[in-house]
Amino acid sequence: MVIDKSLLTGSTTLLILKLLNESDMYGYQMIEELSKKSKNVFELKAGTLYPLLHSLEQKDFLTSYEKTMDNSRVRKYYKITKKGQKYLHEKTEEWRTYSSAVNSILGGVSFAGI
Amino acid sequence: MQESEKINDYLEIVRQQIRWKKAHLSVIEEIRNHITDQRDAFIDDGHDEDTATEMAIAEMGDPVIVGEQLDRTHRSRPDWPMLIMTIFLLLLGLSIQFLVGQDIPNGKELFTKQVVWTALAILVLLTAYYLDFTIIGKYPKIIFLGLSILAIGSFLFTQGNALYSIYPVLLFPTAFAGFIYSMRSKGYVGIILCGASLFAPACISRLVPSLTFYFLLCISCLIVLTAAIIKGWFGVNKLYALSIIYIPTFFVWAIPYFTNFELNGDKRLQIVLNPLSEFTGSEFIKTIVKQLLANSQFLGKGLPVNAPVSGYGNYTGLPILPEAHTDFLLTYLIYRFGWIVLIVLLAIFVIFFKYALNICMRQHSVLGFLSSLAITLTITIECILYLSWNFGFMIFTPLSLPLLSYGGRALIVNIFLIGLLLSVYRTGNLFKDNASIAVRKYNRLICFENGKIILNIKD
Repeated sequence: MVIDKSLLTGSTTLLILKLLNESDMYGYQMIEELSKKSKNVFELKAGTLYPLLHSLEQKDFLTSYEKTMDNSRVRKYYKITKKGQKYLHEKTEEWRTYSSAVNSILGGVSFAGI
Repeated sequence: MQESEKINDYLEIVRQQIRWKKAHLSVIEEIRNHITDQRDAFIDDGHDEDTATEMAIAEMGDPVIVGEQLDRTHRSRPDWPMLIMTIFLLLLGLSIQFLVGQDIPNGKELFTKQVVWTALAILVLLTAYYLDFTIIGKYPKIIFLGLSILAIGSFLFTQGNALYSIYPVLLFPTAFAGFIYSMRSKGYVGIILCGASLFAPACISRLVPSLTFYFLLCISCLIVLTAAIIKGWFGVNKLYALSIIYIPTFFVWAIPYFTNFELNGDKRLQIVLNPLSEFTGSEFIKTIVKQLLANSQFLGKGLPVNAPVSGYGNYTGLPILPEAHTDFLLTYLIYRFGWIVLIVLLAIFVIFFKYALNICMRQHSVLGFLSSLAITLTITIECILYLSWNFGFMIFTPLSLPLLSYGGRALIVNIFLIGLLLSVYRTGNLFKDNASIAVRKYNRLICFENGKIILNIKD
């Protein structure tokens, strides 16, 4: 099976940045939220999530900080940076243009104006 | 405990795939937390612990693939732009020394010496790059003591040229960052101890004497301490803490300027601190610098300048500027090649400092942040003082124009600091403030136990 990896990574990046744009989260929470919000369509594997989070942090799209919980476990929270927000904005626009173009060809409903 | 063993086995396979050992601790801990969260969620859903653990591990995916993906993300990467700029500045420094060498006596001999120093500097850069910078937070007292001995030793053994001993002391602000780090949550006492720790380097700067180093030490350490207070490192009221350091500092620097004492002191300092003034007079040098700059062109060699004293010096190209290769390199370059050189050099240094600041801002750990800040400040202040001196503002005798001006000791110290900064970039974000303090208690280099001194050489 051939999967366009850049497309896959690109859209996952977009989803993660969008989640973090609303609030700071730790890895497990992100997978839960994503699955809940997409009504179980996006089942992101943790094995994919962490390398992606770490690479986004290296690109300065995210920063992380640690928080000690009540059970003395330390959780690593991720926070979106200004650079990340800018990237999210650009990619969202790109995605809207792309999806409306695909929809107009397929004859579906265009969401561009919404 | 069978469940946690299964998790450990899984994590061990993931760990084996990640080649960069420094990354292991933080990455594995995060994955472990994730599996535990997932397991707890399955238990809440009604599964027994054993099944929940197996399901959580299965959710993670193949450990080899997960490990390989993490390995791809976590590779020890150098800060290439910074490294390339450093090497470029080293080579530029050599080329400039070669050019200056044509215009000064013993030029060729000095150039050969500088080639040797540059080769040594590359070795020092590599050593500092691979050095674990966290040692400055682990053993601050030993480093302070070592530096003091080095500075005093170099003062005693460089007969007649006391100024040489100020170069090792340029490492003090960075060591000070480590000292602040060791004072975590020590409250106001910690802040006062930080101030007191500067007594030794301040005394050394008096001994040399070097007003320049005293100034550099005060400003850089003040900024680093301020940053630590703002980050809440001492666990005290930030406003009170800042008053503790700024009110005395203000008086120490301001009182001399409101009293007559200042005038005599300043003149005396001028004579003592400016070695050139002994035989030329600082006003004389100032006039030369101003004349050279006034006659410099945008591009190309400056217009002829009349020497204030005829027959002074024996330089062929620039007959009237002493110390062109060390203290007046910039004045020399501007006069010799035009103001364009200044613009290019300023642009290079501004970009360099922008990258250095980026490294500071990327640091999550307080130790990484404070040490990279101290290094950046040391080099920046050095540059600013050098620039001001070369423009005729002659209060602080310059130390060096980092990596460009002549002088082996300055080169070695500056390249060591840059190497350390690159080391902070490489490993800084894998270092955790919490973990290291806990480890430090059991991992001291020298401990006293039951009347015995124990040297803990193994890291």
